This record gives sequence, structure tokens and C-alpha cells, in this order.
Amino acid sequence: MAKKTFKGRPILPGKLEGEALVSKLPFNLTGSYFENMFAGNTKSAPCTDANNPDLFKKDMKGAILCTSQCVGSTMGAGALMGVSEMGVGLKAFLFSHHIDSIAAGGLIIDDVWYDRRVITIDLLGDEFLEAVNTGDPISIHEDGTVEVG
Amino acid sequence: MKRREFVKMIPLTALVPASGALLSIAGCSESATPDKATQAGKAAAPAASVGGSEGGTVPDFAADMLTSDMNGLGPDGKPTGQSATFTGASKANATAEEAAKHQMKLTAEEQAILDGKKGPEMAKLMKIQVVFGNTFGAEKLVDLGGSPHSNLYPGAPYLGSMIKMLDECAKAGLKSYAPYTVNPRPYDAYKVQNNEKEMQIIYEGYPLQMDLDWVHARLGAPELTKRSCACYVKEVGNAPEPGTYVAWAESSAVNYGNSVLGIRTNRNGAGIDLICALTAKAPFFGLMTDEGRQAKWLVDVKTSKTPDWGVLGTAVGRKVVEDVPLYTGIAKYFEGGEVTEDNLHLLKAMGSASAASGSVGLYHVEGVTPEGKSKGRKLLVEGYQTYVYDDAEEQKIIKTFGNLWPEKDGDPTAAFIGCPHNTYHEMKKWGKLVTEGLDKAGKEKTAIPVYMFCADVVRSRLIEEESELAGKMLRSGMVATPMCGVTWAGTKGFSDRNRGVTNSAKTRNYSTIRYFPDQTLVDIIVTGKMPKSA
Repeated sequence: MAKKTFKGRPILPGKLEGEALVSKLPFNLTGSYFENMFAGNTKSAPCTDANNPDLFKKDMKGAILCTSQCVGSTMGAGALMGVSEMGVGLKAFLFSHHIDSIAAGGLIIDDVWYDRRVITIDLLGDEFLEAVNTGDPISIHEDGTVEVG
Repeated sequence: MKRREFVKMIPLTALVPASGALLSIAGCSESATPDKATQAGKAAAPAASVGGSEGGTVPDFAADMLTSDMNGLGPDGKPTGQSATFTGASKANATAEEAAKHQMKLTAEEQAILDGKKGPEMAKLMKIQVVFGNTFGAEKLVDLGGSPHSNLYPGAPYLGSMIKMLDECAKAGLKSYAPYTVNPRPYDAYKVQNNEKEMQIIYEGYPLQMDLDWVHARLGAPELTKRSCACYVKEVGNAPEPGTYVAWAESSAVNYGNSVLGIRTNRNGAGIDLICALTAKAPFFGLMTDEGRQAKWLVDVKTSKTPDWGVLGTAVGRKVVEDVPLYTGIAKYFEGGEVTEDNLHLLKAMGSASAASGSVGLYHVEGVTPEGKSKGRKLLVEGYQTYVYDDAEEQKIIKTFGNLWPEKDGDPTAAFIGCPHNTYHEMKKWGKLVTEGLDKAGKEKTAIPVYMFCADVVRSRLIEEESELAGKMLRSGMVATPMCGVTWAGTKGFSDRNRGVTNSAKTRNYSTIRYFPDQTLVDIIVTGKMPKSA
């Protein structure tokens, strides 16, 4: 596939290459991590949100997750910090829209307090989420540039 | 007990604050169903994992779970395109280039704190605020006044990292800038979860409750008798002066505080609220600013009778999602345009419903709320939209409130009154309604338990000032409890064990409990039967 380039805002910058894991629907933070939060799974992070056909049952451990924004309980920040502590959190979180306060709170607190960084870029635009698909190769740059393909 | 069996019993709403976006139970919301979600997205995901899951079976309850009423899907199950930040400040038009340039201005003192003048913990808290503030376009940090309110209330395992951070702050000697209030605890082992099965759920589901309560006490919230989502009632007393900058969390409290008290707070998530409390500062953006408090919607209420406040709020939340509405046409229900101890529950019901069905953090009421009085229609932005709420619209919304009981024709088993927590006026009102209803029917006891959720200090006042009524309520089967009702309603298996009825549109929004007008509820409570019209 032809490489496409998108420019977002690096909230928690970093450089990374890998494969995209894509949720075209908004990502429910708490609803997606039930197995980690309550079932004692500390090895993988299978998505438990049955309402999300893009991610349901897929392993999110170490993923570069691409979505529009997060939704769900305002306790979601705690969920992000929890999976991070278990070592099954994301490596990068890429948002087509403006980041929401739920994700921002958890990601920033975890980064600053515990020095656990999930590269976070938002405002990549609707075209980004339309273009990217699960399994696509993806390159993330410090300045918020994201290359797909 | 095997782990698997335990997981099935986990209270879902260990995750659920009595605040904004929540998890809900199967079929409890019209916003989406798994089928709808599948239609909305692409093909259903294959079971195979991208990264090769190391197993772990998806818990049974996940399949029964809806995500949230704020899941970005419309009633048709399709994405709405809504770009809510859940702060109360829409950033729908933000661009990466402009947003990336933004840097908050810090005072010399703030910079010194950031550089470590007040210790490493305070430096980290300041840094979190700077990054968070820059993310949402804050101009600066502002000094906070009044008292904080926190929604960090369940001692669930997944909040361990958050609690640990706060514990480190407490150990470093940090304290909130003022004593603060906290949402109600998620259970009441004295009067509600006072049996083996329920005790197992709460003690295994909330193993960190003591840690959380202890850290709150050390940071400045020692008073369990004042635990309440309705922190602004007189007995709890957290009602800062109009215009005071605070950083509250808890969607219904934020909504009431901004709108009726006239305080200035964004909708903060758990964690950010306490970080602001410890630094005594908050990033200045969104609902704290004059611009962010302008109304993008005019809600014209034209019902022929008093509107159903919960239904009205539900309708408005669905319509405006995160935007600020200005209501007109309801000032006549507030004598002299005054919000009093005796009528504040109307706005509490309406506002909390809009904060649950959408993420409304502020509304104005023309001629009633502080800015609705002082600025009126000058609050409307250019090009505002209008939503007419009339009898037909009210009926249309009520028709979307389905019967979600697994046994649809069963008799009700319990009544849940007060979400957000009851005011003193509501406790008296419901006490009289129910006991007089019983007298009229020649009965001494309610046909089903009636749980009256309120702060402990509100219950104490009732006992002090209305001891005869309080005694009669107790004898009749009404239980006053300081816990969070909607949390209990979200407990795994709750809907299998209970067919609940409620006066709270917020509770309806997040559970299988059915919503009814007051008099219908009284009839149900007295007879234990559903009215034919229900």
C-alpha cells in the first residue's frame, strides 16, 4: 500500500515503529480492560468490550492503538494506569480527534508520576482513521508525524 | 471460592462513579446494543488476536455489557461524530498545528514549584497539571477557592495505581488546600449488603476501600458522615460562593455546582480532581471561562404541565451532549426565581439526568440560575440552536425507556429513591408520601423495601427534626442509607435478583431499574404491584 503521512499533536512524544491496531469506534477504556482489571490476567490484554467489533477479544498488550477518542467511566484513567502497572498497556495511543479528559488524565498521570510512557498523539484527523487498518505498518515520529503503510 | 466464580460476582460498578460516563448493564440503554454496534462498525472482529493473546477468556459478563451512554453512538447505533472531550469544553474545531503550539503561562512561583521548590511530589503534581492544561488549551493555572469535591470513591483493585500515588502524596505530608467532600461509599454493610452473598461481593470487589478511605482522611476528607454526591446540600455544606474556581469531579455535582451555585469547574475525571486539590490550582479553560460558559442551545420548554424533570434532563443530554444549554420556560416552577432547600431537587434531577444521558457540565435557566438571571439570553452564542421540549417530545423520550427487567412481567422487588442523594426536603416528602399512602391503604409496611439514599448528616437531621416521621418511615420498611445507589444497581447479577423501580432518571440511565413518576412509585411501594399502565 502507498505510504500516507499524517501530522498530529504529540502530547506524550516518542518514536516507534510497529503494526496498527484500529478501533473505528470510540474506545471504551474501562469496558475494554475487564479481564485485566478483574480476572487476574497480567500476561495479555484481550479487549472485553463486546460492543466494539473492531477490537473485541483482540490482544491490546503493547499495541499501537488508533481510534477517534475514548469514552466510558470517568474512572477510566485508573484503568489505564492499572494495565500500565501490569505491563500490558499500550505502546502508543493515536487519536484522530482531540484527546478526551478520561484518557488524558490517566496517560499524563502515569507518564509523570510513574515514568511509564505511552506515546500519545491526537488531532490526526478523520482521514487518518479512515486510512489506517489493523495490521498496517505504522511509524511514529517525535514531532507527531505518523506514517501509515 | 474459585477465581472464575468470583469474577462473575464482581460489581460492574466498582468502575462506576455516580458521575458521567458509566458502564451499564445489558440492554439498559437505548444508545447501543451489540447488534447495533456491529451494524455501525465493520464486520465483527475475528476471534484471533493481533498480538497473540496469551489467553484469558473474556468474562461472561462482558458479553452482557453495554459500553456507555457516551460511547459516541447515536440511538441508531451509528457513530455520531461527536468529539466530546468530557471536560465540558468542546474542541471540535481544534487543529494539531495550533494545539501543538499552545503553552500555558506559569507564574514565577508555579515555575519554582515545577522545578522542585516544594519537593519532588509537588513538582510532579505541577507537571501533570501543566501537561494536562496544555492539552486542553488552558491559558494559565488559577488559584482555587471553596472546597474540592472528589468522585474517587470505590476501592476497586484497578484503582491501585491511583491510590498508591495519593498515598505517596500523603506520606510526603501533602494535604488538600481545604477540607474536601467525597462521593458516597459503594456499599453499606449495616443496612444493605448485610447478608453473606452481598458481603462477599463487596469485600472481594472493593479490597482497597480501607486504603482509599484512609488516604482521603489524610489528604483532607475525614468525615464519612458527609460522604455524598450531593455535596452542596446544606447539611454537607460544600457550596462555594458564585464565581469561585474549584476543580470538582462527579458529573452531577459539577453540573449542579456550575449551574445553580455558579461556581466555575470543568468536568474532571478521577485523579485530576485531587491533584488540583493538592496544588490548590487548576488549569484555566472550558467551563471556567466566560466564553466556555456561553450557551450553544436554547431549550424552550413548552409542556402544558410541570415537566418531568428527569425526562427533560435526559432529553437535553441526548440532544446537546457536551454543549451548554440555556433553558427557558421553567422559571415559573421556582417561586420568585429562587432556588431553595425545598425546590433544588428539581434542578438536581434535571441536571444529573443531562450529565448522565450526555455530558452536560453546565446549564443555565433563564430567570433562575445565577448567570441565567444576570445575563439571560445574552448567554446565547451567535448561531445557537433551539430545541423545543413539549408534551409530544416528553412522551417520545419516555417511550424510549424500555422495560429491561429480565422477567418483564414480574412484580417489583425494591424501590431506589435518591440519585443523586436525597435532600432533606426529599426525605421528608417521600416519608410523608409513603407513610400516608400506607395509612390510606390500611397498611403498616411497604410491600417492597424502599431504599432512601442520602448523606448520613441528612438522615441525622431528619431524626432530629422529624423524629416521629423518621420512626414511622423506619417501621414501614424505608431504609435510609448513605451509600451510592447506582453503584449497587450495577452490581453483577443485580438485575437477576432485583426488579427495581426508581424516581431517578440517572439511575435509569445506568441500570435495569425502571423509572416512574412519584405518585406511580408510591402506588407500587404500597401495593407491590405494577400499575396496568406501566
